[in-house]
Formats: sequence, C-alpha cells, structure tokens
Amino acid sequence: MSVASKKPDLPVQFGVYISLLIVIVLTLVPFYWMIVGATLPQDQFFTYPPRFLPGTHFFENLADLRDRFPYLLSIWNSIFVATVYTVLSLFLCSLAGFAFAKYEFAYKEYLFYFILATVVLPVQIMIIPLFLLMANFGLLDTHIALILPFAANPVGIFLMRQSMKSIPDSWLDSARIDGASEFQLYYRIALPSVKPALAALAVILFLFQWNAFLYPLVVLTSEELFTIPLAIERLVGQHRLYFDQIMVATALAIIPITILFLLLQKYFVRGFAGTAYQP
Amino acid sequence: MSIREHSSIQAVRTEGRIARNRVRDSLPSFPGVPYLYILPFFIFFAVFLAFPVVYTLYLSFFEYHGVGEGFLFAIDLGVFAVEVPRISNVEFVGLENYTRMVGDGLFWLSMWNTVIITVFQMPLMVLVSLGVALALNASFIKLSGLQRTLIALPVSANFVAYSTIFLMIFSEQFGLANYVIQLVGFEPIAWQSDRWWARVMLAITLDWRWMGYNMLILFAGLQNIPGRLYEAAEIDGASAWQKFRYVTVPQLKPMLLFVIVLSTVGSMQLFSEPFIITEGGPSNSTITILYYIYDQAFVYFNLGYASALTYVLVGVVTALSIIEMKIGGED
Repeated sequence: MSVASKKPDLPVQFGVYISLLIVIVLTLVPFYWMIVGATLPQDQFFTYPPRFLPGTHFFENLADLRDRFPYLLSIWNSIFVATVYTVLSLFLCSLAGFAFAKYEFAYKEYLFYFILATVVLPVQIMIIPLFLLMANFGLLDTHIALILPFAANPVGIFLMRQSMKSIPDSWLDSARIDGASEFQLYYRIALPSVKPALAALAVILFLFQWNAFLYPLVVLTSEELFTIPLAIERLVGQHRLYFDQIMVATALAIIPITILFLLLQKYFVRGFAGTAYQP
Repeated sequence: MSIREHSSIQAVRTEGRIARNRVRDSLPSFPGVPYLYILPFFIFFAVFLAFPVVYTLYLSFFEYHGVGEGFLFAIDLGVFAVEVPRISNVEFVGLENYTRMVGDGLFWLSMWNTVIITVFQMPLMVLVSLGVALALNASFIKLSGLQRTLIALPVSANFVAYSTIFLMIFSEQFGLANYVIQLVGFEPIAWQSDRWWARVMLAITLDWRWMGYNMLILFAGLQNIPGRLYEAAEIDGASAWQKFRYVTVPQLKPMLLFVIVLSTVGSMQLFSEPFIITEGGPSNSTITILYYIYDQAFVYFNLGYASALTYVLVGVVTALSIIEMKIGGED
C-alpha cells in the first residue's frame, strides 16, 4: 500500500498537501466557471472583471436555450443512441467472448488474435467507408448509422473472453447435466458471473458513444437527430453570443455524467486501467 | 449461482477427472454452438470494421467522383442472390494521392502543428500525473481517495462540452485566464490570435482533460508494486530517493510507457478541441492532421486523398508507438 513507512518531515508533508490542493483547485475551476456562466443572466456574464459567484438565472437561461435549439431532444438522442449501442455491443461481445473462452473450435486462436490485432487501429480509419456504406444503405442522417458501427468492439471481446475464462468448466458441465440448454449457459451462468466486467465494459462503451463527435458530425445533418456534442457545436458555431445558454448546455452535458462517475467510480477506474482505450 | 448448482459442482468435482471426462463425453454435443455465438459479432466486425479498413486503403489509390450506383458484382445463386453494391464512383490514379502530399504545404503544417501541440502537452501531463499519483500513494496523505476522485473528475467530461468551457476561459477580452494573468501583473495573452499561444492553449486544455485519467492508471500501477520490495530495500538501508529510483521507477516503467504511448496515439488524433476552440486558426496554426483529413474528406469531398492521408496518419501513429516502446524497453 504505502510507499514510505517513515513519515517525512512536516515541511515536506505541508508542501505535498499544498501541491495537491493547487492541482485540485485547477481541476475544479473550469467546472465552477461553467456553473457560474450557466446561472448568470447573459449581460452579467461577459463583464470585466469576471463574476465569480453563481447567480439564480439557470432556468431562465434554460428556457432561452430551448427557444433557440431543441436541446432537451439532443440529450434524449445522446442517451438513446449510447444506451442502445451499449446494449447491442455488450450482447455481441459477451456472446462471442463466451465462445472464445469456453468452447473449442477450428481456428479459434487465429480468429481471436485477428480481432485483437485491430485494437491498434484508430476509429478514424473507418469513417470514410462507413460514410459511403451508410449512404448506400440509405442510412445517412439516422441514429442507426451511429449505433451499428463500432458495436463489434475488439476491446469488448477481449475483456469478455478474459473474464469468462475464469468460469470453471465444471459449472457449465454440471448445468448441462441438470438439463440447461447451451444458450442458458450463456445467460444464466456466464453473464451473471462476469457482472463487474460487464459494468466496466458498459462504461467504456457508453462514454465512447456519448463523446463521439467526428463520426456523428459526418453522418447527421438534421438538428432534431443531433446528439449533445453536435448540438453544442451548432450552438457555438451559430449562436456564439449566447454564452449563458451555451453554458447551460455544457452543464447539462457534463453534470449528469459527473454524478454517474461519482456513483460508479470503481467501474470507471477498472474500465480505464484495464484497457488501452482512449475513445 | 444458486446453492443447488454449487452442490452439483461439488458432486462433479469429487467424481474426479476421469469420471468428469466421461460425463462430458456423454453430454449431447453441439458442434455448431460456438460458431453460432461468434457469428453476430463477426457479421458486424466484417461489415463495419474489416471492410472499412481495407476499403480506405483501396480508396487511397483512387479519385472519388461521388456515391456509387449499381453493383460491383451480382451473382444469382437461384435460392438467393449475392449482390455487392458499388459504394463509390471512383477513378484509378495510382500513387498520385500519396505523391500529392509531398507538395501539400497544409499537410505538412498540420503534421507540424500536431507534433508541436503534443510536445507542449505531454511532458507536463505525464510529470504532473506521476507526481500526483506518487503523492496520493504516500502513507501520510489523508483523504487520498477523495482527492483522487476530485482530480479524476475531468475524465467524465464530454469532449465538445469541456472544449466549449475552455473556449470561454481563454477568451482574450473576458476570459478567466487573462483576468488572473493581469491580476498578478502580466500583460494579457493573445490566446486566440497568436499562433504559438493558440497551440499552448490547446496543450493546457488537453492537460486538464487527461491528467486525471493518466493519474488513475499510474496510481493503479503504484498500488500493484509489492510492499515487500520496499521492505527489502529498507532492510538494505536504502534512502527515500534510492527506493524511488531502484524500486518505484523500474516497477512502474511498464505503466509509464503505457501512458506515454496512449497519450501519443491520442494526441495524433486530436480533433474536437481545435475544431471547437480555435477552428484551426489563427492562420492554420492549430489545424491538426485529423482536422485536415476531415476538411479534405467532408468539406472538399476529396475522399481518395483523405483516405491516403488517413493511412499516413495510421503509419505515423504506429511508428511512434513502436519507437517509444523500443526506447522504453531498453536498459
């Protein structure tokens, strides 16, 4: 656990605490600044010197924002797309991961390492053909175009195979003796026994889709289909003056996920530390 | 797992290995099951991952003239037909897309910008995240968990949303950054209108977003160093510095390398931040390579050229990662 068993001198301890405090303050300032901006009336925000205390104008700003842009719809779109994507990807990855962990079949190792090798490929390498594919399928400017690609996720299948490997064969065999079907082995035994890994993967997948910007920018054109990043980009690009409303939009994008992070921190950390994945 | 299942596991276990194999042999076998399980994944993998990766390479030797019509080929098998659509209308140009890069000043500028921003950004981020991870791992620190959580908060921030906040913080006239700078007696900085300050601003922005993330990885690495190594070093009379130099550094090296490679790969794909905060300006000084690819592909619709640029980007990212791992793997 601890690096040093002997405590260093008091001045050293004090210095470390001060340094950490500075880092914490610098980390929190942009969040605080966002809240200040979102709660002040517009004419009070762009002033010099800047205001440092939050106001009470949040709901007025939100109402102005809604008059300007269907932002609540964007939030719903983001939640919808990220959730459906996460469920689909969890299903594909866990089912295939189960096969790779617990069954024998021809070319198993080759297939697995072939998939795994694609982890190093940046997502951008697929965007141009995906755009053309979606154009051909008639799926441009639909949410399906956001959900289908990247569902077969190499990181996902890797995590699922790794965690399902630790399920004892004897559990599966005894369930077979008890008359369980093969598919029941998957959803009655394999899935419940890797719940923490599923949760960690769900966090990775959800955040990947939640943060996705470049690909949605290419695929979506209708404002009523926009996800949060596109909506904020549109607001910044076309309504740059209304920064009070833009800060309301960013606050609504950031605060719920921050709360989720605080609640599910161990899955976030497990997801980050367990994979080489920067979405 | 129910209790009943557990007891039946025990029963199978006690029968021993030979008996268990006999049980397994007597079970109905479903040779198709694993294939059925991997099939859905592989369909998605083939259509949306493997095909695009190959098709980008293919497109890089062509000039794009619009979305395709009709079929590349169609085979009627009686029961069903295999129809592969022509997804784009293209003209073969050989290596032209690649040779074009050599004389493309904006391509080289975008490469240069990306490298500069990475060089500004990464050392500071790695040093601070290492320092914070070490501090939070020290035995005398109280509330280490709480402090870790607070410092890690930016990992949950949406890219476009946090970029927007920094766009305002670095506003030249009304921003918080220039206010504080003037408060301590310096001239306000031209964050948005000076080429070098714009790159520094992006580096600071990225440091804020990724410092906590890397700190979490390094902290996990520190926690995994076995305590007995430090005890042994202490018995040998090692000083605090010696323990750091001869125990912590070598033990943490794989994680440190991981963080550096990950950050390099991430910076080479920088897009949202310059797109939102600087729009590539001033005078293209913050156009990153991926930003340039986006412009070529989806503003000018030079999909062939953009595909070639994409493969060059992938090549550069791979080369940098290999070089870093080679350097890190030595000594």
